[in-house]
Amino acid sequence: MKISLKWLNDFIDIADFLAKPEALSEILTKSGLEVESIENKAKAFENVVVGSILEKGKHPDADRLTLCQVTTGKGVVHQIVCGAKNHNSGDNVVVALPGAILPGNFEIKKSKIRGVESSGMLCSEVELGIAENSDGIMILPKDAPIGKPFAEYMGYDDIVMEIKVTPNRSDCLSHYGLAREISCVTDRPLNSFVKDNLAKLQPAGDTQKKIKLEIKNPQSCPRYTGAFIDKIKIGPSPSWLKKRLESVGMKSISNVVDITNYVMMELGQPLHAFDYREIKGKQITVENSKNDEKFKTLDGTELTMNGTELMIRDGERAVALAGIVGGLNSGIKDDTSEVFIESAYFKPEVVRRTSRRHGIQTESGYRFTRAVDPDMVFTAMKRACQLIQDLAGGQVYGNAYDMYVEKIHQKSIVVTLNYVSDRLGYTVNPKKFVDWIQRLGCTISGKDGEYNVVPPLYRSDIQIADDLVEEYARLNGYDQIPESLPALADPPTQHDKKYTLGLQVNALLRGQGFQEAVNYNFVDSKYYQMVGPSDSFVEYGLNVTERPIKLLNPISEDMDIMRNLIAPSLLKNVIHNFNRGVESGRLFESGYVFYEELGQYIEPWHLGLALWGNDVDLWNKKNVPAVFQLKSKVENFLKGFGKSFSWDVPQKIPNFLHPGQTARLRFEGRAVGFIGTVHPVLVEEFKLRADTALAEFSLEKLLQGQPRVNRVKPLSKFPSVARDLAFVMPATMMAQSVVDEIQKTGKPLLDSVKAFDVFFGQPLKPSEKSVAFRLVYQDPSETLTEQKIAEINSKIVNSVCQKLGISVR
Amino acid sequence: MSIKIQEIQDQALKKFDSAKTSKELYDFKVEFLGKSGAFTEIMKSMKDLSSDERPLFGKKVNEAKVVLEDAYIRKERDLKTKEINEKLASEWLDLTLPGPVQDKSTQHPISLVLNETVNILSRLGYSVRLGPLIEKDFYNFEALNIPKDHPAREMQDTFYVGENHVLRTHTSPIQIHTMEREKPPIRIIGPGAVFRVDSDVSHAPMFHQIEALYVDRKVSMADLKGTIAFMNRELFGSDTKTRFRPSFFPFTEPSAEFDCSCPFCSMKGCRMCGHSGWIELGGSGLVHPHVLKLSGIDPMEWQGLAFGFGIERMSVIKFGVDDIRLFCENDRRFLDQFPS
Repeated sequence: MKISLKWLNDFIDIADFLAKPEALSEILTKSGLEVESIENKAKAFENVVVGSILEKGKHPDADRLTLCQVTTGKGVVHQIVCGAKNHNSGDNVVVALPGAILPGNFEIKKSKIRGVESSGMLCSEVELGIAENSDGIMILPKDAPIGKPFAEYMGYDDIVMEIKVTPNRSDCLSHYGLAREISCVTDRPLNSFVKDNLAKLQPAGDTQKKIKLEIKNPQSCPRYTGAFIDKIKIGPSPSWLKKRLESVGMKSISNVVDITNYVMMELGQPLHAFDYREIKGKQITVENSKNDEKFKTLDGTELTMNGTELMIRDGERAVALAGIVGGLNSGIKDDTSEVFIESAYFKPEVVRRTSRRHGIQTESGYRFTRAVDPDMVFTAMKRACQLIQDLAGGQVYGNAYDMYVEKIHQKSIVVTLNYVSDRLGYTVNPKKFVDWIQRLGCTISGKDGEYNVVPPLYRSDIQIADDLVEEYARLNGYDQIPESLPALADPPTQHDKKYTLGLQVNALLRGQGFQEAVNYNFVDSKYYQMVGPSDSFVEYGLNVTERPIKLLNPISEDMDIMRNLIAPSLLKNVIHNFNRGVESGRLFESGYVFYEELGQYIEPWHLGLALWGNDVDLWNKKNVPAVFQLKSKVENFLKGFGKSFSWDVPQKIPNFLHPGQTARLRFEGRAVGFIGTVHPVLVEEFKLRADTALAEFSLEKLLQGQPRVNRVKPLSKFPSVARDLAFVMPATMMAQSVVDEIQKTGKPLLDSVKAFDVFFGQPLKPSEKSVAFRLVYQDPSETLTEQKIAEINSKIVNSVCQKLGISVR
Repeated sequence: MSIKIQEIQDQALKKFDSAKTSKELYDFKVEFLGKSGAFTEIMKSMKDLSSDERPLFGKKVNEAKVVLEDAYIRKERDLKTKEINEKLASEWLDLTLPGPVQDKSTQHPISLVLNETVNILSRLGYSVRLGPLIEKDFYNFEALNIPKDHPAREMQDTFYVGENHVLRTHTSPIQIHTMEREKPPIRIIGPGAVFRVDSDVSHAPMFHQIEALYVDRKVSMADLKGTIAFMNRELFGSDTKTRFRPSFFPFTEPSAEFDCSCPFCSMKGCRMCGHSGWIELGGSGLVHPHVLKLSGIDPMEWQGLAFGFGIERMSVIKFGVDDIRLFCENDRRFLDQFPS
């Protein structure tokens, strides 16, 4: 909220802070009202003064430019080149002298323009930042005092602070309220400004004879006040009022409307002015809406009620949505001369509900939802009347309404000094405590460190002892709170297992040369049609549906659903990197994916991996396909968990992967995810300039039973023996089938088997390949004899050749 | 006979001297001193000598052998030195060339800050709890003293996935889940992703928070300040100061925002701290009695403190990142700048 210091000065003497607003800002921030910015309008117009053109001549070298001799008083004359056309000798103008910094950080310097010296600039409203468009430079009235600083001439010698008022401090949503807070914190007295002005009221006549009032719903509207005013002349507001409204960011409309806004910014109480002509039956009723009732707001929006809204009605129809917005039917018009001014207390929850239901946010509604001061309702109404009387020629009628049906009370709070001391961690001085609580506006009674406190009505946020603890703490200064560390009496518990396992996953993957990535958990549904989930993932052990969770209110179209895979996001990262000339990388992300099942939201923990391109390398000339590089990294990662795994190829291949370069990982027999090369069509679509591989696994399945400690196997005392075997087989046969067969037959002496060479070409047929395997035999109890090895080796060869129909090379 | 010995010795010395390589030298050694070498041969002729001559002959042979062994060792040393020097000269490598490429590994700045904070607070006995990212309205708001239509909800623009389900707007629901599940005393850290409808240079729709909750029989603002001050010193250095400013959160009372003294300018004022000497870090307070009660903990018996901060914001301070969007783009030029 914006606060003008000059305005504030109406209620409390803070004129000294105009010169040092930072000091006030510090006081406010320390007491819990954070000052977000300080706007010093005068500062923006330093070295900008009122001047007069003595002589307007032509620039010798430029037809479009004029050469002016301008005085800024006391006989000082500046030569200024000006490109405008609307100025003449004798005009009073706004002169920015060297040193001035105009909006947009435009610094004025002495310079030469087309060879002629120019020491300043004649300004337009746009250049000064006070209007959105202007025709030529600003010409001031004849009586503008030459030499006067422009800011002072315009009345810009104010300081405006932007204050962050937290939702609990509705009492500070006005200048008066803030003055009251400053009075409490600084012990400066509030003056009698409000009272003095109300004394100027000269009522005549009887409001209650002009209009009838009925509150049918006092639980929602405990207090309603109003007065009738006639003889009003609608017109523009006086400039001081306009300026004040503008200084706090409000637009001036007309005197009566401006006054209702002014009083709201002054006293914190929203008001509404009805055109009396339009009040049918001269009757105001406060009651709930009817179901399906239509209502058109001031700005012409039509709303449909559902019976929960509180309405202000006349004899026939709704004329306002209570506390939020007036009706189009009864607003102030240019020819309005009689008005009914409303000032009321509407319950916060009632206004909140309506405001939320219809999505209407107004300054008025903002204040009611945070609770206004019930005691200010009548005062604010009278203040508005007085201003209308003084500024719009209105005649205010007496016998104003003040229906206060349901009295609002503040509950008494019991608080002990011990409680306050215990919560703050330091001993609270009783005298200081009582003093601060009183300065807050509370009544306090009791003794021996036990008190009954009744907070003022404008502090409806103070409800329990803990609220008083905070009030005392902030007023006494948060810097008074000492620092202590609580004793650790009970043993700490263990971290959530997912956190510890996550650390292990990250460490193992970094060990494999991956960089950790983090992606938004929402993705683009259109992108998912190209690179996204499909039912084929079920075979891979990933519970991924084609219908991801939609956000009801996405921030943008390209973040409209929750992801249910990580790999597509990583592919986006790869594209992003390629587009910026980064041609290789290895990324991993461990994170959550989302799906819905029977109304439950499930968040499986996944690991996504992406690998693309290679850095130029002096040593490694051989180009290993990305998918194999990724595979070996994945295998090393899996070995970190010490469990057995294998790869196979299921029937269905996810649509964004290469159908001939995709495999499924099985971990201890269960499908846990996929690895594959990005589909060539996508490679072309996304202009990927290097081989790119993706993988994704369910970490929940991979890490089941972890952490697990593997017992160490004794080292064999006997040497192991290696034998190589090569088989000729169809080119498309998977090596794994041979490995499986070798392992089956080789038990128990076979320790390991691994393919180490693949050969195509002569003398083999084009449809054939030869794969060489290294078999390692080991007997834990004796040295293997040549005979024994030959025996088992031939058994393996026979079995493989027979079962798979292939031959030894 | 002794002339013969002398002859062989001279011959051998000559050959030793002419050897070009240690292998050649060794072959010569075998020729003369080996099992079937010249000396073995000559020893065979000893049986033809008289018993008087034999000792002298043996002595001569042995003397000659010693001479040759010495010569051999000397020559061998020379040759070896020569050979090793040649080998060294031929094996020169330009070590200014790069080694084979190793894939780079880095930690994400979010993890760096998160894990560092967890490590710090673990030393005070806190342990990590996690919670779901899609939360029931109750856990994200109501249990935290933010009823429906409460103005405090406007402080956080919420993503909805269903009528009663939201993407959590803060990590505080973790507190509620923990208090429901575990009996006090409780000391936990709740880290993780949170979501708000907000996006510009300093706001991202998804970011990360970390928060701590401590519930015990007697917990004070001094405990809160002491704990945060410890954390700040560990994060930013031992001379870091901590400042509290009054604030408002629906789930704490009293509430405080906490700042640390600016680590960049030692409180002299700089661009990073907006020339105030202080850097805003996060929010904190004593757990509101309503919140304890809603989680099934009797506020007459137990009290709590809680504090938290945005991890991206902390990373911005620690690493000087100027655009929050960089955190989720995974641009290698960004990631490459962080340690493993």
